[in-house]
Amino acid sequence: MVADRGTPSVDSIRNFCIIAHIDHGKSTLADRLIQSCGAVEDREFRDQILDSMDIERERGITIKSNTVTLLYEAQDGNRYTLNLIDTPGHVDFSHEVRRSLMSCEGALLLVDASQGVEAQTVANLYLALEYDLELVPVINKIDLPSADIERAREEISEDLGLDPYEAVLCSAKQGIGIEDVLEAVVHKLPPPIGDPEAKLQALIFDAQYDPYRGVVMICRVKDGRLRPGQRIRLMHSDKEFEVEEVGQLQLRRVKTDELSAGAVGYVIAGIKTVRDIAIGDTITEARHPAEEPLPGYKEAKPVVFSSIYPMSTDDYEDLTTALDKLALNDAALTYEKDSSVALGFGFRCGFLGLLHLDVVQERLKREYGLSLILSAPSVRYEITLQSGEEIAVDNPTLYPDPSQIQSATEPYIKASIMMPERYIGVVMELCREKRGLNTTFNYLSVGRVELTSELPLAEVLFDFYDKLKTVTQGYGSFDYEMLDYRPTDLVKVDILVNGEPVDALSQLVHRDMSRARALRYCERLEETIPRQQFKIAIQGAIGGQIIARSTINAYRKDVTAKCYGGDITRKRKLLEKQREGKKRMKVVGAVEIPQSAFMAVLTSDTQK
Amino acid sequence: MSDFDGPGLYIHVPFCTHICPYCDFSVLTGDRSWQTRYLQHLSLEIELLTESGWPELVREPPSEAFDTIYFGGGTPSMLPPGNLESILEAVRAKMHVRENAWLFLEANPEDVTLKAATTWRQMGFRTISLGVQSFAEDNLAFLGRQHSPRAARRGLDNALAAGFDTVAMDLIYGIPDQSPRAWQSDLDEALAAGPHHLSCYQLTVHPRTPFGFRQLRGEMMEMDNDDQAELFMLTHRHLAAGGMPGYEVSNFAAGPQHRSLHNQKYWSHSPYLGLGPSAHSFARGRRWWNPRKIKAWMAPLDAGRPPLESVEELGLESLVLESLMLGLRTYDGVDFDNLPGGLGPALWRDNRATIDELVKRGLATVDRSRLRPTLAGLAIADTVARSLDLGGLRNEPT
Ligand SMILES: Nc1nc2c(ncn2[C@@H]2O[C@H](COP(=O)(O)OP(=O)(O)OP(=O)(O)O)[C@@H](O)[C@H]2O)c(=O)[nH]1
Ligand code: SF4
Ligand SMILES: [Mg+2]
Repeated sequence: MVADRGTPSVDSIRNFCIIAHIDHGKSTLADRLIQSCGAVEDREFRDQILDSMDIERERGITIKSNTVTLLYEAQDGNRYTLNLIDTPGHVDFSHEVRRSLMSCEGALLLVDASQGVEAQTVANLYLALEYDLELVPVINKIDLPSADIERAREEISEDLGLDPYEAVLCSAKQGIGIEDVLEAVVHKLPPPIGDPEAKLQALIFDAQYDPYRGVVMICRVKDGRLRPGQRIRLMHSDKEFEVEEVGQLQLRRVKTDELSAGAVGYVIAGIKTVRDIAIGDTITEARHPAEEPLPGYKEAKPVVFSSIYPMSTDDYEDLTTALDKLALNDAALTYEKDSSVALGFGFRCGFLGLLHLDVVQERLKREYGLSLILSAPSVRYEITLQSGEEIAVDNPTLYPDPSQIQSATEPYIKASIMMPERYIGVVMELCREKRGLNTTFNYLSVGRVELTSELPLAEVLFDFYDKLKTVTQGYGSFDYEMLDYRPTDLVKVDILVNGEPVDALSQLVHRDMSRARALRYCERLEETIPRQQFKIAIQGAIGGQIIARSTINAYRKDVTAKCYGGDITRKRKLLEKQREGKKRMKVVGAVEIPQSAFMAVLTSDTQK
Repeated sequence: MSDFDGPGLYIHVPFCTHICPYCDFSVLTGDRSWQTRYLQHLSLEIELLTESGWPELVREPPSEAFDTIYFGGGTPSMLPPGNLESILEAVRAKMHVRENAWLFLEANPEDVTLKAATTWRQMGFRTISLGVQSFAEDNLAFLGRQHSPRAARRGLDNALAAGFDTVAMDLIYGIPDQSPRAWQSDLDEALAAGPHHLSCYQLTVHPRTPFGFRQLRGEMMEMDNDDQAELFMLTHRHLAAGGMPGYEVSNFAAGPQHRSLHNQKYWSHSPYLGLGPSAHSFARGRRWWNPRKIKAWMAPLDAGRPPLESVEELGLESLVLESLMLGLRTYDGVDFDNLPGGLGPALWRDNRATIDELVKRGLATVDRSRLRPTLAGLAIADTVARSLDLGGLRNEPT
């Protein structure tokens, strides 16, 4: 594919993103826009073509924002360059939306005609307003029998404060109204403002890693021009590179002669070290640098924390590289070195939510082939010490001595659960169990209710999704937003194996939940630690006080198959294999704990 | 065993009239024509041996004469005595076999008529080992055995009457749902039959056998570990009380003279040579073995080559590991001063803490340089062997 090599004039460019609540049809609309502009051959097309990661395709959701440049010939006969960014709808990935918005002048705000305005519709609207973007509301899925266009209009007006009669009606799935959407983009969204002759300023808003070419920066040029051969400087990191190639993202990279003011595209500059660049940095020309970098953006603060360890300590280096590369592509991920007596070296990572954690873990496994153990996810507690000092603790191993603690607070979320009416009772009970406050519900329509509850995030991290799914037989949908920090009665629960604490299994929990949690860990360990030559005591404790216990009886018999006809080799090989397996076990208090035991205790609490 | 510490010869006879559902040995239900081909190829294999009576690959063959010859299977008693006789003749002609070599024969109880037993006895067989497996009708049915308890007893009587030095029999225990009481009465029947040697094997379910498939499909459950342990202890205590003390995890003898001279060679790294499909051999730190499948064993012989499947050079670490693993399965345990390469003392030092722990937990006792498992230790012999750290040892060829 060869790009239109002429540099488009600023006026003919439109930079916009599609934002909406999860599942309202952003990626499907992007598909239709891409097809309408002829950017993809029919035989290469597949649904939600921008969702290119395996996990995105499997789960049917967008995780990463994706940029694509389209060439559109409008009804007025002019040709436009449209830089479209499809964004994720799930709350855990709102940082992706934020980054996308920064490189756009406008956005299509999609509303599902049958669902109407939802939590992330509102949240994304606010984000867009924060960046002063022009908005065009789009009502999608008008083909659905349950579509209620009038109600959607009403909500657009009342909940979003936008002009309901500006709204474009379409069905992304059926391809209805696509032309109208494109015309609205061209006529209602403004072109970028920029001066190709001014000093170069380009915002890096995303990046990829190409094994052959190194870092591929995705950027939006504010002023000036970016060209191969140019010497560029990254203004924050103060590193210089030479541009090798620039171009547009038309589903694949297409080389162009330059990227000039207003353009969105990629830059390759022979950067091999991932840590040399940071998302949000500004590219300028080394010889004629701009005075100021462009405003970066503050990264979303992580709210969920977990330590990641490689299964095999040999993989620590690989994990380091993998996290570096992944963070390039996922700027919201934070990580720092951590270590555990039982599991060795790893990283303490911060995530924007459970789904984010899940996705990172999954990507590390799939894209980097790593086998990992994750510690139980934790929130960040704010603790006031007797001395008056305030500290934040997200890692149980850093929990201060209880005698020094004056008070502690923990984060709360506002959960919104939608479900058929018949599950109201069990879900309210679940919220109560999880220390929920102010649980209320209202009817959305006949038979459908929305329940809201103020829940400690820590309780949601543990086992909430599983239980919700079970009690609502899969019919409950869950959404949340962060509320505030509230006082809590925090304790640290340690798990002891034959008297020795297993640091990777320590956790911070509310006192009321401590016994149940400890018991559950003990039981899981009892099920998964193989019997050994001696009796094993497993205990849960708060300080010196034992709150839960279980025992594994001694293993009393080996399988002593006969060494037949001098075939000693077979038996020895078996023993050697077991010895190898033993090496991979973690030894705590002389007890060999296989990794499967850590897995059994630590996973599945977070899986949805 | 003092007088019999030369090399041993094993001859595998791969035929059974019926294949047991738990069997993973090299066997087939061959008819007479198969037997003929087998015999022809066995003599080819013998002919291929060098002057010394060992295959080419043994560069410095042991100089001592073979002092045990063991016919195992399969069911060697299926072969007509005349065939056994000619195998023995061929062996004696080619190899250096001691005059009073101890001959062993594995037999199906039903084959042990008084006439057959007397013939074997006259041919020089001194130990006969009967595959009885159980005296309980239902167990025999479960195990897919064709003989009746009565036939088993008759076979034993005939063997005893024929005057073998050692009449041995095999039993299987740990059959799903077997109660301690049921197993004990099986043991009592066995003792009452008056053998000199007993092998009691725990039922092991091997993959790719009918039992293995049944287990995969969830139709059969292996016995719970605690129950297995209980039966194991019961076996050793009950037989000891009945005058048949154990000397290895699965082996019991009415007196030291009845212990299996041949099997003890396997456990002590004495040289041994195996002929026939799947047979294993060991000499000079090397182990090698024949293909399991009878055809794969015959094909190279047809081409005039020895039927070798694999050769393994045992490094010092492997030798030591085997010595520990096998030694800890015996009542005598392991004498660290006699470990290969003189590595025992260092190993003992490195494992001092583990050894103390084993003693403290009642799994072993220490007698100078000897580590001797207790009954509880014997039950988990593999685990005990596993717990010893060979850390410093290198697997250098010896
Ligand atoms: N009936 C109907 N279904 C649609 C329409 N647009 C999208 N869908 C369906 O809605 C589901 C979600 O569509 P996506 O395009 O993946 O939604 P999204 O907004 O990108 O979702 P996230 O990226 O996860 O936030 C898919 O099953 C689509 O087929 C439409 O116009 N009509
Ligand atoms: S008798 Fe022994 S060798 Fe023959 S099939 Fe049964 S278990 Fe296998
Ligand atoms: Mg999407």
